Amino acid sequence: MLEFLSYGFVQRGLVAGTLVAVACALLGVFLVLKRLSLMGDGMSHVCLTGVAVALLTSTSPVYMSVPIVMAASAGILKITEKFKIYGDAAIGIVSAAGLSVGLLLTALAGGFNTDLLGYLFGSILTVSASEAALCGVLLCVVLVGLKLFYRYLVSACFDEPFAHTRGVPVQTVNLILVMITSVAVVLAFKVVGIFLISAMLIIPPVAALLLSRTFKQVLWLAACFGAVSVWGGIWFSFMFNIPSGATIILVDLLILLGAFVWSKVYAH
Amino acid sequence: MPSVIKAEKLRFAYRRVPVLENVSFDVQSGDYVGIIGPNGGGKTTLLKLLLGLEQGAGNIFLFGTPLAQFKAWNKIGYLAQKSPVSQSRFPISAEEVVLMGLPQRLGSAVSRADLKQVHTAMQKTHTRDYAGTIFHDLSIGQQQRVLLARALVSNPEILILDEPSTALDAQSREMFFNLLGELNQQHGVTILLITHDTGEVGKHISKFMYVDKTVVFFGTKSEFCHSAAVAKQLGPFAQHTIDHLHNHHGHCPLGEDCTECAHAEGKHA
Repeated sequence: MLEFLSYGFVQRGLVAGTLVAVACALLGVFLVLKRLSLMGDGMSHVCLTGVAVALLTSTSPVYMSVPIVMAASAGILKITEKFKIYGDAAIGIVSAAGLSVGLLLTALAGGFNTDLLGYLFGSILTVSASEAALCGVLLCVVLVGLKLFYRYLVSACFDEPFAHTRGVPVQTVNLILVMITSVAVVLAFKVVGIFLISAMLIIPPVAALLLSRTFKQVLWLAACFGAVSVWGGIWFSFMFNIPSGATIILVDLLILLGAFVWSKVYAH
Repeated sequence: MPSVIKAEKLRFAYRRVPVLENVSFDVQSGDYVGIIGPNGGGKTTLLKLLLGLEQGAGNIFLFGTPLAQFKAWNKIGYLAQKSPVSQSRFPISAEEVVLMGLPQRLGSAVSRADLKQVHTAMQKTHTRDYAGTIFHDLSIGQQQRVLLARALVSNPEILILDEPSTALDAQSREMFFNLLGELNQQHGVTILLITHDTGEVGKHISKFMYVDKTVVFFGTKSEFCHSAAVAKQLGPFAQHTIDHLHNHHGHCPLGEDCTECAHAEGKHA
């Protein structure tokens, strides 16, 4: 039953997937509470531009996408601040721009090919050792950032204007949050694919929020749910020969369903 | 008394529509200022400008320091018009909410001294009993009292409050205004308070500011009573009624010669 663990590519996939899922779940808690849940969706669409540019220029899609997605995320924040429109509208604008530019460049690059489909739907079992190491660096950055900015982040999520009056550099905190999320999104597209990245940012935090009574509980539970979904997803994928990205998200959804039922039973 | 808040020629427009124009005033230490005026008159915007939450033209000085360079935010307590709670359940206790009112430093942990300050503030606002309750699970009135504790926890020298009593029941409102009065009179806390509840709050207020796109009036209660600018806006009867609500046991400076007083008292009787 555990023979799949003996394969090197599975081991790399599990390690990279777990690291990136935990990072996404931790970052997702703040995005969900700041009502920026769809930030991941917008960023993932911009990833398509990065991948298309990489395919056109024969460079690494991961390294090409990071600066493009970071710039787009900063753009979403700027649009929200400057034009005083809701975050979801700003995400929609940047997302549409990312998707259309990506599709245009894909057409210029000769249309859809196997590489691109791999990025769209995820190919966790093709993760390289250097990409797995990058996932480790990402999780370290997220954990150090959480340690340093924990009180700032909680204050800014709960009541941004008040946090500003306490001297919390709200705009800088927001910028750091979306910049780290940008890197997480780029690394996650190898795990679950561009189409399903946002689920990794949203579902584990939402399930954790249903069950927790303290903020720290939310972070722990979200991280556990993220990791469990990757392990469960890869196991199911290997056992039944089905796509790993979609299976990971389906396991996430099962966890969410369980959390929902538990919270209802517990509440009564 | 030293000036603690000074505004010079403030201007603010939203999508090119002027909200505030040529606003200048000087609040001195120990003042208890009731800010009144019509809806949409720019009262909340004015407070947001003072707190740096909105950017407008003109100069603002807090404790003599230009707003852009002001760092001593622990000297200022703020309570907004709306509770920050959204529909989603934010997993944070009332105690943790109050803790947010203390100055925050990068990577800092919560100390025993911090918790002591939090408990003192919660005692003042009678919220200690539900310190461990999730903020979202409290009633709106209880939430408002917790938020007042958050505004008080850093022992501020200035309290800025935007219609804080809207969600409170009669008993809580009385406790709330008595506490503000005590802070002002016994501890010298300067208070700026937006209110429509002029009757209740007026027992303690020392000055009125009438804001309608600009500062129409800023002065003491008796000056308010006889201000031609206010009379032009409100009409002399309303002007006097407001003032009388504040002076339940007081006397009009004009005495028996004041026909408006006679009018207002006649109406009340």
